[in-house]
Amino acid sequence: MWRADLGQIQARAGFPENRPLAEAVWVPATGHNMRYIEREITLLSDGGDMSIHRRRFLKAASVGTVLGLAGCSSQQSDGNASPTPNSTQQDDQQGSGQIGDGELVLATTTSTYDTGLLGALNPVFEESFGVTMKTIPKGTGASLRTARDGDADVILVHARNAEDQFMQDGFGVNRRDVMFNDFVIVGPEDDPAGINGMESATDAFATIAEQEAVFVSRGDDSGTNKKELIIWDEAGIEPSGEWYRAIGKGMGDTLVQANESGAYTLADRGTYLSMQDEIELVIHVQGPLKGGPVILKNPYGVMAVNPAKYGDVNYQAAMAYIGFLTSPQGQSMIENYTANGSQLFFPNAIAEEPNFGQYVPQGYSAEQAQSLSRHDKQFLYWVENEVPTNY
Amino acid sequence: MVLLQVQLPDGGWTYVLSIVVVSLKVSLTAVGLSTLLSLPVALLIGFTDFPGKRLLTAVINTGMGFPSVVVGLVVLMLLSNSGPLGTFDLAFTPQAMMASQFVLATPVVMSISLSSVEEVSRSIRDAAYVLGGTRVDVGLVVIKEARYGIVTAILAGFGRAISEVGSILIVGGNIVFSDGQSYTRTLTTAITVEARQGRYELGLVLGVVLLALVLVVNSLGSWIRSKGRGTRAS
Amino acid sequence: MRLTATDVSKSFDDAVLEDVSLGVEPGQVLTIVGPSGTGKTTLLRLFAAFQPPDSGTIAWNGSDLWSLSEAERLRVRRKMSMVFQEPSLFNAPVRRNVAYGIRVRKPWSERLRLGVGGLVGNEPLAESVQTALESVGLAHKAGQNALTLSGGEAQRVAFARALAVDPEIVLLDEPTSNLDPRNTAVLEDAIRRASDRGVTCVLATHDMNQAERVSDHVAFIFDGEVVETGPPAQVFERPTDRRTKRFVEGELLVDSAVEPDPTEPSS
Repeated sequence: MWRADLGQIQARAGFPENRPLAEAVWVPATGHNMRYIEREITLLSDGGDMSIHRRRFLKAASVGTVLGLAGCSSQQSDGNASPTPNSTQQDDQQGSGQIGDGELVLATTTSTYDTGLLGALNPVFEESFGVTMKTIPKGTGASLRTARDGDADVILVHARNAEDQFMQDGFGVNRRDVMFNDFVIVGPEDDPAGINGMESATDAFATIAEQEAVFVSRGDDSGTNKKELIIWDEAGIEPSGEWYRAIGKGMGDTLVQANESGAYTLADRGTYLSMQDEIELVIHVQGPLKGGPVILKNPYGVMAVNPAKYGDVNYQAAMAYIGFLTSPQGQSMIENYTANGSQLFFPNAIAEEPNFGQYVPQGYSAEQAQSLSRHDKQFLYWVENEVPTNY
Repeated sequence: MVLLQVQLPDGGWTYVLSIVVVSLKVSLTAVGLSTLLSLPVALLIGFTDFPGKRLLTAVINTGMGFPSVVVGLVVLMLLSNSGPLGTFDLAFTPQAMMASQFVLATPVVMSISLSSVEEVSRSIRDAAYVLGGTRVDVGLVVIKEARYGIVTAILAGFGRAISEVGSILIVGGNIVFSDGQSYTRTLTTAITVEARQGRYELGLVLGVVLLALVLVVNSLGSWIRSKGRGTRAS
Repeated sequence: MRLTATDVSKSFDDAVLEDVSLGVEPGQVLTIVGPSGTGKTTLLRLFAAFQPPDSGTIAWNGSDLWSLSEAERLRVRRKMSMVFQEPSLFNAPVRRNVAYGIRVRKPWSERLRLGVGGLVGNEPLAESVQTALESVGLAHKAGQNALTLSGGEAQRVAFARALAVDPEIVLLDEPTSNLDPRNTAVLEDAIRRASDRGVTCVLATHDMNQAERVSDHVAFIFDGEVVETGPPAQVFERPTDRRTKRFVEGELLVDSAVEPDPTEPSS
């Protein structure tokens, strides 16, 4: 980590001393944001349109400042990024006032919300773009419904089939992949059903059903719930009986209840990790991030609500937010976000290889059957390239 | 003795304070509006005989037990951008919460006010009339005579509003701004967030704050009631 | 200032009043006597303009009350006040009860001002309130809550309340039937003194002795009609009608038809 003085950068870029671009700030730098700042400096020294570059530079400087500090503070165990004390200095040098009506309504799932990731991301977006965010945590089904009713501007969910339907019905535009993690099958330490270490999720579920071990299902049509039902379906089982309890609650609630009852459940790794302090459940079947079956993949997508359907949605701010989430700095923040010492999400919005599948519903291309498994291959490709071997 | 390990939510006491402010703002407004509507209606229903009066009274009483989630859904559907009142842009705002709590509190306030008002004896009304009072004057006398019951009605309505969670969760969206200031999060919905994340102790702390609030309001109500000086001669 | 009932009929379930005509002369104490359930209360309530009669007219100085606008009728109503069998005092201090009639006659702006002032501190006792309370001997209890008074005291306050508005006519519906002799005497004395000051009093009672003590003029009502009127001496000692005679002699204590309470709404 080395420190950079904006004054130095300014001098290196060849700007005259009597026209300061920004006050000097201490920027503790990680490798990542220095790359970005260096790129900006290169662009600046090319000459060209000063005003555009000036703005981009300021943005880079301010965001880089925050990123740097975020990178530092995320090493604390509670996974919260405290806002940079320097950010207020940048206020009067931000971009012009409002986008749309200055408010962005984001509907997202409770599990995403509860990890605290958005608490770290959103303030940065608000600062940079001068938009006030209103985040509504609801289940996946409710978030999609809210968006269909035009009561939200942008949604961030993790239920690909439902997202596809949303796009097919014309409500969602500009879908982008944002990040992924996976699901894990968790249960009590003593593993009454004996599924620990299994490499097939369907087999694990089948064993649980056979042993009639207590299983708690979210039963709320959420992304997690949909995934769970897909697994039961693949295993050819219709779960019923006293051991299978659908409780209609959020992920946190479900984990807590499973913990209390010594039951198995399917959880997204992010929520599980962020709650490890509160519960004693352990992972019995890993997800693909750690070599488990691909069926447990959990990709997140963001979409803007179609302004043609609802003329008064804040489309510009929604697009700005999508741009922010999928930008290098946004993706970097996602990558660096941890809870209880572990990384929760893996960014996958941008890659050198083309990734058309994110923009359209699955199977949109002519080769329908093939594109489904292509998606799985795509996922494994990300895992291979993004997830460090020592994760 | 085990000390409860409680870590204040992010934002600490400013966060809690802003939640309390939203809770009070929403519930007090809802009950206030409810009272303004309920008192004249109670007077109207109480003193007139009309066909279907008993049915109407029964309907009002039934409204007291109306499930809050259902009210929340209906209000959301009305205020949603795709609903009939979408132009007012009220979905997920404190105003929407006031509206749904207004619907929940009104049957309570109206029903109890109605029975208090009906208990005021006819001779009191006659006395006010015969001393030169207009209909409005007589109504005011009745309200003053029934003030014990009416304050009870308002407190009951407030209790229903401040402690409910189902409707405001749906119409309000439980929103907190990035700086930790609550927009549509109240004590009750904040407790759901903490409970959802397994932070039970914190949920309890918020619950205690809520109870303290209700206690303060009820004490105020009792004091107002006792200001009536002198007990009712039975 | 004449208050008249002309051919007035009013019924609830059974016929109560049938073609009753009665005039109230200013300045006198008119007592309406008759057995219980005979229509006295109904007639008084018609005079007080609670409800219009089924037929006939109630007139003030010749104008039919019920053909007036509501505002005009209110003005006429405010020349009268009434005392009932039950004191019907409000749950408030005695002084507030007595001042009630005065307050409602004031414009709203003044009432609001008084109301706010009342919250802050005690209002000074209006002169008419003071006088009215003194005339019933209860000025010393002005600050006490009205519901803590004894029955007799309460009824006296009710009378003070009716007097405080300085009415032209006071209607009294069996005001002393629930009182002990002492309070009865106080009230009768107050009635007489009010009459001396020029207030017209219309008193309904089944107590002939009271009628004799208090009134200038008596009307005997039986079975929904005015049977006989005249000065008390004449009606009681030299009744012309046989029914009057029987009433005076102690028979006919109850009306032939049982009258439902006219203060209850008909179901």
